[in-house]
Order: sequence, then structure tokens, then C-alpha cells
Amino acid sequence: MEVCTKMTKKTKNIIVNLLPFISIGLFIGFWFLVAGKPSSIIPTPYEVYLRVVKLIEKPISHTSIWGHVWASTKRVLFGLLLACFFGIPFGLLVGWNKKFRRVFKPLFELIRPIPALAWIPLLTLWFGIGESSKIALVFVGCLMPVVVNTYSGVSLIPKLNVDVAKIYGASNSQIITDIVLPSSLSAIMAGISTAMGTGWIVVLAAEMISAYQGLGFLIIRGSNVSDLALVIFAMLLIGLIGSVLSSLLRFLERKLCPWKVEIKN
Amino acid sequence: MDKNKIDVEVTRLRQEAKRTTQKTIIIGTLSIAIFLLVWQLLYSLKIVDNSRIASPIQVLSAIGSKVSDPRPDGNTLFQNIWASFKLAMVGFFLALVIGLPLGLLMGWYKPVDKFVRPIFEIIRPLPPIAWIPIIIVLLGIGTVAKSFIIFFTTFVPIVINSYTGIKGTKQVYIDLAKTCGYSNWKVFKTVGVPSAMPLAFAGMQIALGNGWGTLVAAEMLASSEGLGYMIFMGRNFGRIDIIIAGMFVIGIIGLFLTSIIDRIEKIVLKWRFVQK
Repeated sequence: MEVCTKMTKKTKNIIVNLLPFISIGLFIGFWFLVAGKPSSIIPTPYEVYLRVVKLIEKPISHTSIWGHVWASTKRVLFGLLLACFFGIPFGLLVGWNKKFRRVFKPLFELIRPIPALAWIPLLTLWFGIGESSKIALVFVGCLMPVVVNTYSGVSLIPKLNVDVAKIYGASNSQIITDIVLPSSLSAIMAGISTAMGTGWIVVLAAEMISAYQGLGFLIIRGSNVSDLALVIFAMLLIGLIGSVLSSLLRFLERKLCPWKVEIKN
Repeated sequence: MDKNKIDVEVTRLRQEAKRTTQKTIIIGTLSIAIFLLVWQLLYSLKIVDNSRIASPIQVLSAIGSKVSDPRPDGNTLFQNIWASFKLAMVGFFLALVIGLPLGLLMGWYKPVDKFVRPIFEIIRPLPPIAWIPIIIVLLGIGTVAKSFIIFFTTFVPIVINSYTGIKGTKQVYIDLAKTCGYSNWKVFKTVGVPSAMPLAFAGMQIALGNGWGTLVAAEMLASSEGLGYMIFMGRNFGRIDIIIAGMFVIGIIGLFLTSIIDRIEKIVLKWRFVQK
């Protein structure tokens, strides 16, 4: 009897562990089913593979596939860096300095609810449709999460820590570098990783609307010439790069604020 | 005597707090007023190129005239708002109806998690607007297609948050319910689901905010109505007042939508707020 329940438990475990493969199998099977019909314009996984091979040999709009990947990544990184460069000091000031907060927080709150993508028409009008308007868009998209997270990170600092530092005669700048920055660092990092997600979305939209390079351009090109294999490949690349970048950020966060992980364990 | 002293102190502190809030409000209003004034002056004195920016007064009057005037995009303001709102709601509720139970079940039952997770991990990192070409091929450019784009945007945060929420259920409560002889399903219903709700609501807020933001892009790429279409047409006709007015309307409605979720949370999860 006991042996029997053990056996069933074991088989149950095996079945549970097989489930991911079954679902992936079903997914691919479903894909083949939809794409397999002769009239279907959805490409099969094999056709996507062939398209990738062709793409590596024959570049689109004079740019190799790596060139497109780099074009999008570059825009995201530039915009993100700019957003951090302005956003983190601004968030710190708003969180730390009462006068600054009173004056600038309402202005920020006025602009904050506007979605990043809604800036596209205005920014393309101001900066044209070249590189600078895309970086400006990513900047606007990334700025909001960076500022909001820095601000809330600063305002969540235990008052006790600041008071202790004050009693021991720390200067204002010492308090900021030794207490405020380290305590809000993990919130800032969380803001940066949200910002990067937004940055990707924004850059794709900008490239889909007007560009000659980048992954968003590949998607819209594929869509315009009914080359869905290209679209699917670009989507896969976007997902892949997104995950790589976010795991890079997680790694950076572990290096920068190791105490956070310690607390979790 | 002592009690009187305390009372005096309390009223003094209260007044002080009141004065600080008043001060904050006054300074905030002033700061926005000065911002608008500087913006207007920059425009009126032609310090910035007038073909690249509209003045606050023009933006306000654009909102006013757009209420009844369908130019330049062919729909009045309320028609555009309604078109966008409808899409956002359809996509959001679809994601809620599918995503909330899915996230909860994934968090509670391991087999469901194992089965759904691989496919979810394929969908998760893809920005929703990347789906647009595929969706256009499968569903055209109608309302259904755009709702699907919103669905993809809102689905992911709802699933993730309800999953994380139910995973965070206190083990003590689960054990207690099990000791009282509840079946696993009943524990899920009476303990797991309620404790997941606060995070699930946070997820809904994020989802609705994201969905509203993405809608703009969906309408720019394929639409003939809606607020995103309106500002895109404003861009094409060089009507900057319409663009900026549209941006503010989009922002305000976004705030309004998330505050509705907040309100619903306070009604549905009364037990969280009465405790005090």
C-alpha cells in the first residue's frame, strides 16, 4: 500500500516535470497547424529559420542584422543614460530638499501622467525624425520611472538613520553620500530596470513610425512587404535582448547593493 | 492642568501641519502658474520659434473648440475619447478575466504553473506594440485587433502581480485552514485569493496605466479615431495646439482611470482599510 502511494507520487512528479515540455510542444504544434495550411501567410518555424539564414547573408537597407540590433540598443542606452544623469539628481533633490520639492514636484506631476508614446508627435516635430528625436523619446520615457523611484526611495529612508548622522555632526553632503544614496540605491535600480523596459517599448514605437535602422524598422518593413518571418524573427530578437539587458541590470544591482540580497536570504 | 497643556500642544501641532500643507499647495500652484506664464511669454515674445510650439492659451482654446469641431482629424474630442476609452476597457477586461484567474491558479497549483509558464515567458518580454503586425494579419485593423494589443499590454502585469500576491500568502493561515479540515480548493478560495488581492489590484493599476499608454501607439499605427489618432493627425497637419491639448487630455484620463481602480479597491477590499 505504502509502496503504491510512493509510486503514484513519483509518477505524478514525473508528469508535473514533463508539463513544461508538453506545453512548449503544444505551442509549436499549434504554430505548425496554423502556419501549415497552404493559404496561410503565417510562416512555419522552419521558414523563420530559413529567413534568418537569408537575413545574415543579405542585409536590409544596407545594415546587417547586428547593425539593426545595435541601432536600437544604442538608442535605448543613450536615452537611459541621459535619463539617469538628469533624473537621479532631480529625484534626490525632490525627495531631500523640501523647498525644491514644493516648487518642482507639482510641475513634474503635471507632466508625469502623459504616456511616453504620446510624446512621439511633439518630439518628432521638434527634433525631426532622425536619431535625436528617438533618443529624446527614450529619455522622456525613462525619466519618469527613474525620478519617481529615486524620489520614493529617498522618502522611505528611516528618519532615525538621518537623525543619528546629524547628531554625530555629519554635514548635509555627507548625509547624502553616506545615507541617502546607499539607502535609496535599490529603489533607484528598480526604477532603472523599469525605465529600460519602457525604453524598449518607446524605441520600438519610434522606429516603427519612422526609421531606416533598428528592430522596430525590421518589424514594420516585414509587415509592409508581408514578410512575417522577418517580423517574428525581429520579435524574438527583441525579447532576447530585453531579457539579456534586464539580467545584466540584475547582476549590476547585486554588485552595487549586495545588502539587499542578504536581507532576502 | 497637564491635560490642558497636552491639548494646547496638540492644537498647535495640528495648526502647524495645516499651515505646511497650505504652504505646499500655495507654492505648488504658484510654481505651475509661473511655468505657464513663462511658457506664454516665451511664445508671445517670439523667443521660441512659434511654428514649433503653441501657447497655453492656444492649447486651452484648442480643447474648447475640439469639443464641437471635428477638424482636423474628423472626430470631436468626445468621440475620440470614447473611441480610446472603449478600446482600453475591452482590452483591460479581457486581460482581467483571463489573467487574474490564470495568475492565481499558477501561484497556487504547481502543475498549472509548470504548464503555463513556458508560454507566458515567451509572451512576457515582448513589447506589446511588437505584436501589431501579427495582429493586423490575423485580425485586421478593427476594434478587435486594437483591443488585442491592449490585452497583451495589460495581461502581463495582471498575471505577474496576482501570481506574486498569492505566493505571498502567509503559511500560518494556510496551515490553520488545513488544520480546520479545509480542502485545498477551499483554502485557495478563502485564504489564498483574498491575500493576493492587494497586489492584484496594484497590478491592475499598472496594467491600466500601461494599456492606456500603449493605446496611443496602436492608434497612431492603425486607426481612424481615438486620442492617439488625434495627436498624430495634429502632427501631420502641423497643429501643435491639438498635439499638446491631446497629450494633456490623455494624461488626465489616464490619471482618472487609475484613480477609479483605487476607488474600486477601497470598496472591494474594505477589510484592508477599516482596520484602523
